[in-house]
Amino acid sequence: MTELVLENVGKTFGGVVASENVNIRVPAGRITGLIGPNGAGKTTIVNMITGMLALSSGRITFGDTDLTTMMPHRIAEAGLARTFQNIRLLKDASILENVMIGFHMAERSTLLSALFRLPGAAKETRDTRAAAMALLDRFGMTHLRDHPAGSLSYGHQRRVEMMRALAADPQLLLLDEPVAGMNEAESAELARIFRELTDEGRAILLIEHDMRFVTDLCHHVYVLDGGKVISEGRPADVLADPVVVTAYLGESIDAA
Amino acid sequence: MSDFIFNYIPVFDLFLLHLGFAFSQYIALRSGVFSLATAAFAGIGAYTAGILSVKLGLPSPVGIAAGVVLGTAAALFLSLPLSKLRGVYQAIATVAFVQIVVSLNIYLEGLTGGAMGLNGIPHTVGTPVLFVAAAGVAYMMWAINRTRLGRTFDVIREDEAVAVSLGVPMARYQTLGFALSGGIAGLFGGLEAHHTYALEPNQFGFTFLIAILSYVVLGGRSSVLGPIVGTAVLIALPEIARPLDENRVLVYGLLLILVINFLPRGIADTAIDRLRLRRVARSGSAPAKAGKAVET
Ligand SMILES: Nc1ncnc2c1ncn2[C@@H]1O[C@H](COP(=O)(O)OP(=O)(O)OP(=O)(O)O)[C@@H](O)[C@H]1O
Ligand SMILES: [Mg+2]
Repeated sequence: MTELVLENVGKTFGGVVASENVNIRVPAGRITGLIGPNGAGKTTIVNMITGMLALSSGRITFGDTDLTTMMPHRIAEAGLARTFQNIRLLKDASILENVMIGFHMAERSTLLSALFRLPGAAKETRDTRAAAMALLDRFGMTHLRDHPAGSLSYGHQRRVEMMRALAADPQLLLLDEPVAGMNEAESAELARIFRELTDEGRAILLIEHDMRFVTDLCHHVYVLDGGKVISEGRPADVLADPVVVTAYLGESIDAA
Repeated sequence: MSDFIFNYIPVFDLFLLHLGFAFSQYIALRSGVFSLATAAFAGIGAYTAGILSVKLGLPSPVGIAAGVVLGTAAALFLSLPLSKLRGVYQAIATVAFVQIVVSLNIYLEGLTGGAMGLNGIPHTVGTPVLFVAAAGVAYMMWAINRTRLGRTFDVIREDEAVAVSLGVPMARYQTLGFALSGGIAGLFGGLEAHHTYALEPNQFGFTFLIAILSYVVLGGRSSVLGPIVGTAVLIALPEIARPLDENRVLVYGLLLILVINFLPRGIADTAIDRLRLRRVARSGSAPAKAGKAVET
């Protein structure tokens, strides 16, 4: 099974150290948590894994593939997909269109086939639409398919981001605060979907501030503070770790 | 100046020619390249066709085809430095390229006729040929929009980070969009050469650039209808109100400013959006706007 491995990863922005000697493993079939106070460096880690930020030091591998210096679109082809903490959807496009974009790698049409193989190109678009509809159904959003993405609540927009990422059929899903802005029922529904996804053999790296959500869901948790991993292990053990308690001091530990 | 074209080409032919150029501008913008190079590619296509015909006596289809090839080649060449630039810097670089082509057409006198222009080009292109060419390009744009290419262009233009996170090789798509822009402008440049007998270097300069850009900004940059509506309105306007004709560039400039401020998506795209919203509203499933939460 493919496993994502970060070895001694470091990142500095000018003088700011955003990551230092980070070692993280994200195994298939498991939900791995990445927590830490605001500004701890969680999003920076996701940006390095997906190739959007260059590493200052260290190495990232996914199975036999070295991702360290790969172009972001190659990393996506290797089976990694992500969502964004600051939601990034095509606001004027409909939900359905936003999800269909995620199928880019599954589709084959080129300029020539679009021009000269009309039936094939038309069928491909129909198939993509059907596959996108199946995802909408899974996330309970079929009735909203024609709505412009920008008109939805944050909770719904986050789900659209997840559907778009899943459309790429990734082996590893990187979720940056996926349930922020959702109510209890909505996040419970997502928890169910996340478990299904790992049962299918996918790996999930989950960044989340809601500690109850993390404890319920994650098999293994890494705690970042000041760019360093200060603790790791089973969620209950990690949250009892005095180092972690100190890091969160002054912040309520289950702040959403 | 390019008033020459505006005044001496029958209106429908002018519309068809400029629709071709508008599609060249459209496909570049559609793929997220802030190019204003359509004028340069048009000049390259027109002079290539004109020179091959006047100086070498080659049949006009050969010269027009050569214009397409050179327009595409120039775009491919230019896409290398352009891929390292973004936004307004791409616009500036392409305006410089337009100026270079205008200057070359003035200074290579032996070949281009210099400032006096290139005269005596056989008139072999009429309304039917223009119509077929414009329809063919419109079909191409439509075919692109209904496959993953159109969707991919959309996401590249709106958010590069999202595009690459979904496995889109951005540089390849932008090169494709830009090469199409070059080829289409080269084609319509060649058609214009064989439609007007004569070419004049400033014809494909700044005035031309503003006119073509106005068509797409006014009409819309997403749907195929955008360039069609924009070109039709701006070609017809001075026909309806003659005084506008003398101040065409001024009028286009003012319209650009107004449209960018009050109708940023252009006439056609805004209308299509409105229609879709109304359909959604009628279907009765209100979006859960109430649940809008504050981000942490
Ligand atoms: N592009 C950048 N340039 C400069 N500094 C950056 C950049 N991105 C992040 N940082 C800095 O790196 C540190 C870690 O930021 P990061 O966004 O990774 O934190 P985070 O753990 O995701 O925080 P949050 O919980 O608020 O999302 C912060 O000090 C931030 O200011
Ligand atoms: Mg973050």
